[in-house]
Amino acid sequence: MLKYFFIRLLSAIPVLFLVILITFILVRLAPGGPFDQERAAPPAVLANLNKQYHLDDPVVVQFKDYLVNLLRGDFGPSFKYPTRTVTEIILTGLPPTLELGLYALLFAMFVGISTGVMAGLKPNSAQDYIPMTIAMIGICLPSFVLGPLLILGFGIGLEWFPVSGWGDSPGDKVLPAITLGAAYAAYIARLTRGGMLDVMSQDYIRTARAKGLSPARIVGLHALRGALAPVVAFAGPAAAGLLSGSFVVETIYQIPGLGRFYLQAAFNRDYTMILGTTIFFATLIILFNFISDVIQAWINPKLRQSLSK
Amino acid sequence: MFFKSAISLQELNQYEQGRSLSEDAFNRLKKNKFALFGLIYLSVMIVLAVFAPLLAPYAYDAQDLSLGATPPSLAHWMGTDIFGRDQLTRILHGSRVSLMVGFVATAVALLIGVLWGTIAGYSGGKTDAIMMRIVDVLYALPFTIFIILLTVVFGRSIFLLFLAIGAVEWLTMARIVRGQVMALRQQEFIEAAVSMGLSRWQIMSRHLIPNILGPIIVYTTLTIPSVILLESFLSFLGLGIQPPASSWGSLISYGVETIEEYPWLLIFPSLFLSVTLFALNFLGDGLRDAFDPRSSKD
Repeated sequence: MLKYFFIRLLSAIPVLFLVILITFILVRLAPGGPFDQERAAPPAVLANLNKQYHLDDPVVVQFKDYLVNLLRGDFGPSFKYPTRTVTEIILTGLPPTLELGLYALLFAMFVGISTGVMAGLKPNSAQDYIPMTIAMIGICLPSFVLGPLLILGFGIGLEWFPVSGWGDSPGDKVLPAITLGAAYAAYIARLTRGGMLDVMSQDYIRTARAKGLSPARIVGLHALRGALAPVVAFAGPAAAGLLSGSFVVETIYQIPGLGRFYLQAAFNRDYTMILGTTIFFATLIILFNFISDVIQAWINPKLRQSLSK
Repeated sequence: MFFKSAISLQELNQYEQGRSLSEDAFNRLKKNKFALFGLIYLSVMIVLAVFAPLLAPYAYDAQDLSLGATPPSLAHWMGTDIFGRDQLTRILHGSRVSLMVGFVATAVALLIGVLWGTIAGYSGGKTDAIMMRIVDVLYALPFTIFIILLTVVFGRSIFLLFLAIGAVEWLTMARIVRGQVMALRQQEFIEAAVSMGLSRWQIMSRHLIPNILGPIIVYTTLTIPSVILLESFLSFLGLGIQPPASSWGSLISYGVETIEEYPWLLIFPSLFLSVTLFALNFLGDGLRDAFDPRSSKD
């Protein structure tokens, strides 16, 4: 198990290196320098700026310096806001984004697993069809359609929840979390239903029934463990999807998170900021996939045994 | 005797018309109401998109500032936006962009994915290992973020969108195709083709790919909605289609800005996008069941 953990961890390093390299090259290829202004600065000033930011070094040296700084957690200065470093901006934007992602994931897990179990226990009944049709709609409805519709219905129409802001007024985190989590809830519901259908016909469930266990114990203790394996496998990609989904949700609800900073940087052509946030996002996503893989190996006894040999 | 039996075989063929896999699949598809709805809806939508310039009641950039934003009426079935532009016209023109991105980018993904998967699956050994390792690494990259980065670096052009989205979506196609090819490679008819001295290219194009058309068609149908979604996502964020051109995503993002005052600007493009996504997903699911009757819903 430990060996698998380390091998999996090591294999993430080349991927991460590739991400950094590609991003770095792409940003270097971008047209226009970072200091292009409406009015051209005098050449001497430009030369000084280039010198200050080491832009006159050979590209290979710049890349090496950047890597070394990255290892120290230093993403360099922001070109657009010279007084702030990219690291500072990332640290300001990260908490709302992570919080939003966490709530969305909890919502998706709770709603998805409970409806999936319900549907899977009585396949081909109304208890199955109705939630699964809603789930299909949930998968098809993109967050940038669902979000505005929720605002229109529960924000402006019923006035149950505030329509923008983050932590300013009670309840303003509800709509963003639902908007972001809905598609994943739907997907998890489908996965759970599929898992339940597979598991409930297994011999060990019949044994549990024969022992006289209550239905709640059968589902909770025995069936769910097996049924949730595909859900865990999906959690890694889902976490990655939640991160890019946060771009949309943060824009709709005006949440001061990392996704919005990233988009602002993209519009401002703030190259160091784009470089830094891309690498940061990529690291997070690779990390989530890694964690999901390890948990998968850990909860699956067959896989665990073959790994510890 | 021999002569006679040959004739009877011919007669038999006349009565019992051979049904191909795709005919079988289409017959099964016709019984699936959701999938049939998807197919009909999409056909209508494609016709509307292709003939949008002829069908649209107004020019797509015709402004009427004195009119401003009006709710749906007889003259403007879906209302007008703040510049007095006809919403129905803008949606029809937007469907051209959205559908075209969907089809072209999927075609790019299809071409790369099928070639990559077939070559890897048929070659096997080291070539296969290296090619699939590349796919694994690319899979781990955060692509939405990379596409945003690409639009920043190379500007916001529609061709870049095609390329970028196509380049993302081919990975799954390559994996699926490779798996299928690996399974087929062991079969006798491929061995026969090899012993007849056919070239590798001939074997791949005439014997392997036609035999895995089922999964390819299914996955292609399921790729189109995710591509349309990705384009709308980028256009919604302001990184895709630039004004005065419109796509469903950019229309939705205008609609969100004025959601309190003019909700119809949000509702109609959202409706078109969502129903199209439903239709494509229904059709994809239906095709999957039709080509592989054993597969369940999940």
